[in-house]
Amino acid sequence: MQKILRVISIVFIIFFVFSSEVFAQEKATEINALIENAKQLDNKTVTVEGEAVGEPLERGKYCWVNINDTTNAIGVWVNSEDAKQIKKYGDYKNKGDIIRVTGVFRRACKEHGGEADIHNESMQIIKHGYSVHEDISVVKLIIAVMLVLILILAIFFIHKLKIIRLPYHF
Amino acid sequence: MNYNEKAASNIEIISYYSGVIIFGTALLMLIPIFFTIVCFEFAPLIDFIISFCITMLVGLGLMLFGKKTQIQNATTQWKHGYIIAAFTWILLMMLCAIPYSLSGHTKSFLDSCFDVMSGFTTTGLLLTQDLDHLSIGLNMWRHLLTFIGGQGMIVLALSFVSNQASGAYRLYVGEAKDIELVPNVVGTAKIIWKISMIYLGIGTAALWITGMVIGLNPITAFFHGFYMFASAWSTGGFSPMTQNMMYYHSLTYEIICLIILVLGSFNFGLHYAVWQGNRKEFIKNIETRSFFITSIISCALILRWLTKLNVYPDAIADFRRVIFNVLSAHTTTGFTNIYARQYALEWGDIGVLIMVIAMLIGGSACSTAGGFKGLRVAMVFKAIIVDIKKLLSSERNVKVYKYHHIKDCILEDSGVKSSAIIILCYIVLFAIGTILGIFCGYPMGSSAFEAASATGNVGLSIGVTSLSTPAILKIYYIVAMYMGRLEFISVFALIGFVIKGVKKICKRY
Repeated sequence: MQKILRVISIVFIIFFVFSSEVFAQEKATEINALIENAKQLDNKTVTVEGEAVGEPLERGKYCWVNINDTTNAIGVWVNSEDAKQIKKYGDYKNKGDIIRVTGVFRRACKEHGGEADIHNESMQIIKHGYSVHEDISVVKLIIAVMLVLILILAIFFIHKLKIIRLPYHF
Repeated sequence: MNYNEKAASNIEIISYYSGVIIFGTALLMLIPIFFTIVCFEFAPLIDFIISFCITMLVGLGLMLFGKKTQIQNATTQWKHGYIIAAFTWILLMMLCAIPYSLSGHTKSFLDSCFDVMSGFTTTGLLLTQDLDHLSIGLNMWRHLLTFIGGQGMIVLALSFVSNQASGAYRLYVGEAKDIELVPNVVGTAKIIWKISMIYLGIGTAALWITGMVIGLNPITAFFHGFYMFASAWSTGGFSPMTQNMMYYHSLTYEIICLIILVLGSFNFGLHYAVWQGNRKEFIKNIETRSFFITSIISCALILRWLTKLNVYPDAIADFRRVIFNVLSAHTTTGFTNIYARQYALEWGDIGVLIMVIAMLIGGSACSTAGGFKGLRVAMVFKAIIVDIKKLLSSERNVKVYKYHHIKDCILEDSGVKSSAIIILCYIVLFAIGTILGIFCGYPMGSSAFEAASATGNVGLSIGVTSLSTPAILKIYYIVAMYMGRLEFISVFALIGFVIKGVKKICKRY
């Protein structure tokens, strides 16, 4: 019985510690909501969560990291050292790291020519990115092969039987 | 020709030439096919092979149907030119939408058609989803379509057709291009391409180098350089990333794009004249004068308004945001360095109204730009001044009034009338779009902004164009982009032809 109580209390403590950490995290704001409420949120500290896309754009000690949370995308002004935590950026072949950024939102940043941006204060990798495996549909492949054959036959017969002259002279 | 044989009918002529143009456009798909192979993108490769084969087969089918045209070397008439242009654009919209649809980046075939028409007409409104994960092949296709659309599909086809150019001028005019740089229309089409290709080389190189300087890797910088050049030169407005111009966070990149888009909005005749050494043409031309006057007035008014509202923190931000967006709207490009919703939420009613007017005026005639065109606005404006002068002067005083557009032209009533009619058609199209937007539940300002953007082939969005836009509005925007780009006459000719055909069938049965 004592053993059971000990296990229950440990589980409870672990659950409490972890859940309190989760509750402590501020809820992320959607990027579209930032734009829609830009005047109210201007110069306020906000937290956004999204996929790092494209490439980091180095500017000396700092760099631009563009993040997309599916509602919209925004540029985050990050210390180059912090940006090194990001290992994968999203593109056709990759799903980028999902990052959580807490920083000051500027509706029209004076430092950056009036652009809407976030100046990073802290950054955290929520989920690591990965290489995307291309799904090649067998049905599409069969259709493609059939169409290529039909096209070759059509051009061959038109050419051979001299039905029409094909256009274009390069 | 065998005299017992019936001459090629209208439908056969239209079918044959439409087939030739579609066949040529199918060959264009070889470019994205090449890049999908080089970049090891196999899923898009299959999509493009399917699309290529279908497009080729449709082109061949149409040519076979109208084969009498080739055998008899039948000449096209004006009506054929207009109908071929209008019909080909609709068919190509559907065929070129196949790779979009197969990629899974659009929610429906209607959305795919919307994006293709937006590309062809160099509008730039888009419904393609998840741009940041688009393959190089599909991105290449999007930007290629907008680049070709700017010059004109028929201009492209004519450039390579050396033996089938009978009545070529009629096809060329059907696509709303009427300038003759040299007496031969095929030669004119080739010059248009030569001008575009030289700028393509210079522009892509400039953006490539700048891209590397601002932190892109050399390969990405090259592709982005091409994409952004194609969009800017054809005043299209597509971008490879969701954030459009904001992705780059670079003033230099914005300035280079701005130069290219302004150059792209100028008449090909003006480019040719300047290249021939006639530099004064740039200052004397009524279109460039009209463009600079309307641009300065629009920028000044919006700057004054936004300063009053205290939207931007300083003059640098004011100039960077206002000049870029106003010129992008005025040249009907559609690049933006602010968020779509910021127009509605921050620029206020006056800002939106001035942008709507700038978008409707548009760029130059016979350029890649849309809108009613500076030439028409300037002609109508000049005609009003002339009428006032005539009223105030003696009745015995007969004077010929002129304007300068490549050469000195007499301001004739017929020219002013046709300009006014086209402007009126644009306004009607814009008004219907605005009313329809309001009916669909959007605010008036937003509806007007989006309708102007579609009608003028601009591509700036205030947030109306999205996945949730009602299908009826999407279809209307497709029609508005199409009619705006072809400047109505070709579309009216096609509608008339279809009605006539239907009437004939009804009479027969």
